Amino acid sequence: MKPRTRRNISTAVRVLLLAIYLIAAILPLYWIFITSVKSPQEIYAFPLKYWPEKISFASYEKLFSISTFGLYFRNSLVISLLSSLGAMVVAVMSGFALSRYSHSRSKGIIELVMYFSQTIPSFIIMVPIFSIFSKIHAVNNRAMLGIVYIATVVAFCTIMGKSFFDRIPASLEEAAKIDGCNLFQSITKVVLPITLPGMAAIFCFAFINIWNELFLAVMLLNSSSKMTVPVALNSFISKAGISWDVMSAGIVVALLPTMVVFGIGQKYIVAGLTEGSVKG
Amino acid sequence: MRNRWYLLMMAPGFILLALFLYIPLFMGVVMAFQNYNMFNLTDLHFIGLENFTAIITDKTIDFWQILINTAVWLFFSLLFQFVLGFGLALLLKKPFAGRSIYSGFVFYAWALSGFAIGLVWSWLFNGQVGLFNDILMKLHLIDSPVGFLSNPKYAMVSVIITNIWYGVPFFGIMLLAALQSVPNELYEAAVLDGCGPVKQLFSVTIPYIKPTIISTILLRTMWIINFPDIIYAMTNGGPANSTNILATQMINKVYKQYDYGQGSAIGVIIMLLLLIYAVIYLKLTNANEDNI
Repeated sequence: MKPRTRRNISTAVRVLLLAIYLIAAILPLYWIFITSVKSPQEIYAFPLKYWPEKISFASYEKLFSISTFGLYFRNSLVISLLSSLGAMVVAVMSGFALSRYSHSRSKGIIELVMYFSQTIPSFIIMVPIFSIFSKIHAVNNRAMLGIVYIATVVAFCTIMGKSFFDRIPASLEEAAKIDGCNLFQSITKVVLPITLPGMAAIFCFAFINIWNELFLAVMLLNSSSKMTVPVALNSFISKAGISWDVMSAGIVVALLPTMVVFGIGQKYIVAGLTEGSVKG
Repeated sequence: MRNRWYLLMMAPGFILLALFLYIPLFMGVVMAFQNYNMFNLTDLHFIGLENFTAIITDKTIDFWQILINTAVWLFFSLLFQFVLGFGLALLLKKPFAGRSIYSGFVFYAWALSGFAIGLVWSWLFNGQVGLFNDILMKLHLIDSPVGFLSNPKYAMVSVIITNIWYGVPFFGIMLLAALQSVPNELYEAAVLDGCGPVKQLFSVTIPYIKPTIISTILLRTMWIINFPDIIYAMTNGGPANSTNILATQMINKVYKQYDYGQGSAIGVIIMLLLLIYAVIYLKLTNANEDNI
């Protein structure tokens, strides 16, 4: 075989494989979206339509009118935004401090505590947290759930933050110190502006994890007006089965925010994930 | 000394970790040895290993089947997530027009809720009007719809396929970053030595990114074992326990039977298994390192 033909074949194979990955990645989401814009009768009609006869938003109307999904969406959005913001602030502080902390032995212990907390399965802490919260009457409280969420992501966010701060030389702060800045000023005026991408990554990571969380929310929220989006989706599953018109619309709405966040923050998230490289 | 300031700055994070992770973890381990359940909150006491023996000797749910299910779920999910994720990373290594947009489309699944993804795929696998049944019938591979999730023969394969789809982006992201860190000079030297692409992969690329491979596989193992979301959404362990793994069994103990003691005991079993696994895994991979 001539080298040129061989190169052409290998390019063709590569393009083909890339196409297969792309189709596999998109197909499930395409299908749930198409289902959500079919009319409720068409969803269960044979033969299956790969494109709806007529685009219908009946499922979305049903979702927001019957199940007050708008309320759950707002609950999720408020909890996720505030908790991610909180997690970011806490993680930036501890990540910076951990990066600059110079006592090497206790630094090792602190890092171990951070890494180990990533291996604790979230469902072993679920019941104890529920039992503590029952005693202090903190069950069914969205703010308390938000604080628990901060705790579940803060270790990874700290590790991410530390790796970003590690790349910023401490000499920068020393220079600021000589210019008359105190520690607080040198952080806010010198260090933070350069680490904005890192902070964005931390925020996106926290938001995605918190938005998607189901089991703690099921355990800790019990009145329906306080439900988050995943809990609402869970409540759509009944013994009689799932009615896929409302469910498909609910899933599309549930997936949108993290897709948007990933779309915007992809570059930073990928960098943060690989630097922190602890949790999927 | 600034170190004291730094400790103070770390305090909020540590307090959160202590209050909501480490103290609950300790309580969870204690509960595993108590008769703690919803119907017995007043007379709480230690019962030794009774929770563990109750789980292992359960007549309705075969514990060994759950263990085997967990192993099957882990092994096949991990194997294909790794192989397909590695393949994707290799394809994305060389730049091409639109690569960053393309990678957005193949990586976005990482950001999605595992529970919602489980629901999406249970719709794709639907036994009456599912897309997969329709495609297979159009291709004349099957004559009538298959109950992928209602037939114990196919349920495990179906949830594993879903988990593979969900996990490929993570491996893709991590391994792509590792591949991009391999210095070009190594490849140039390999080409001079007459290595073809396959030889380059096995004698340059893989040895160089081995640390990343080892750590991502370990992390992913822990994550897959601790991950009930997809199965919970698709089959909740059924039919006939064919997809019941330790994590879903624990969720059922807590959510359905309100038996917190037994639930915690399963949690402890999972953590012990993971600990043993991690020790053996790191020993084996380190031993390999020494041989090279």
